Amino acid sequence: MSDILYVKFEKNTRTYNQTITLGEVGEMQCADSAIVNRLKTEKLHTFHHIKKGSHICAARKVFSILDVVEKIHEVFPTLEIQNMGEQDFIVEYSTKQQENPVVCFLKVAIVCLICFFGSAFSIMAFNNDVSTVDLFGQFYKLLTGMESDGFTILELTYSLGLSVGIVAFFNHIGGRRLIKDPTPIEVEMRLYEDDINTTLINTSSRNGSHKKES
Amino acid sequence: MWMKEILMALIGLSCGFAVAGGIFALLIALGVVSDFADRTHTAKHIFLYEDAVAAGGIIGNLLSVYQFVLPLGNVGAGMFGIFSGIFVGGWAMALTEIVNIVPIFTRRLEMRRGLELIIVSMSVGRTIGSLMYYYYRW
Repeated sequence: MSDILYVKFEKNTRTYNQTITLGEVGEMQCADSAIVNRLKTEKLHTFHHIKKGSHICAARKVFSILDVVEKIHEVFPTLEIQNMGEQDFIVEYSTKQQENPVVCFLKVAIVCLICFFGSAFSIMAFNNDVSTVDLFGQFYKLLTGMESDGFTILELTYSLGLSVGIVAFFNHIGGRRLIKDPTPIEVEMRLYEDDINTTLINTSSRNGSHKKES
Repeated sequence: MWMKEILMALIGLSCGFAVAGGIFALLIALGVVSDFADRTHTAKHIFLYEDAVAAGGIIGNLLSVYQFVLPLGNVGAGMFGIFSGIFVGGWAMALTEIVNIVPIFTRRLEMRRGLELIIVSMSVGRTIGSLMYYYYRW
C-alpha cells in the first residue's frame, strides 16, 4: 500500500455524540476512497466523565495527532499519514442541544446593554478627562476672538466626525457591511478563541493528562 | 469669516475621527466585548454587540458634549451605573491582564495556587476603593 492519507483536524470541535468517530472531528483525503470511508467510522474516543445535567461543555478532551495516527495504524498498519492541520486539537462534548431562546435573548440583551452603556461611559469619561468642551471653547476664542456659547461648529463637527469614525472603524451600520472585511470585534473574537484553545492544549500537555487517561 | 468656519469644521471633524479611532481601537483591542460574548456563548450575535458599542459611543458623546437633559430618573441612572460599572470592571481587569501583572507576580513569588484568591481580592479591592472614592467625594 503506497497511498498517502492526508488528515486535517480543526483545533476545536463540538460534538453531541458521546462516542466520537474520526470522520466527525477531522477531514481525511486519500487516493483510495475505501480507506477514507473505513476510517471515517473508526471510533476515536468515548466520553465517560460527564457533568450531570445539560451543559454546553459537559466534557472536554485534548487529543494529539499521534492518538489519531495510532488509531489509523491499528486499522491500516502500513498506511503513510500526512498531517495538514493541527498537532493537537480539542473535542468538546455538549449535552445541551439548544439553548432556551428566552435565556439566550436575555443574555444577548444584557451584553448589549453593557456594551452600550459601557462605551457611552467611556467616551464621556474621555471627553471629561481631556475637557473637550473647555478645549473647544478656547479654540473657538483663539480662532474667532469671540466667547464660545458651547454650541459652536466645533462641537457639531466633532460629534459628526466621531460618529463617522466609529462607523468606519467598525465597518458596518446595522447588519450592512461597508467593506467586505471582517469587523474588528470579529477579528478579536477569533484571536480570543484561538488563545483559549492554545491555553487548553498547553495546560493539558503540561499536566500530562491527555496521554494517560484513555 | 467663512474661512475660519471651514477651518474649524475641518478641525472638529478630524478631532472626532481621530478620537473615535483611538478610543474604540483601545476598547476592542483589550477584548472586553469578545470576553463578554465568549462568557455568554453568544459569539454569533457579535454584530449586535458592535452596533451597541457604536451607538453607545455616538449617543454618549452627544450627551457629554451637549449636556442634554434626559428625564430617566433614578431607574435610568441605576441602569447606567450598573452596566457601565460592569463594562469598566471588565476593562480594568483586561488592562491588568494585558500588562501581565498576575503571571509575573505568580512567577516571582513562586505561587502554585491561590489564583482565585488573588482575583477575588482584586475585585473586592476595586469595589471598596471605588466606594471610598465616591463616599469621601474625592
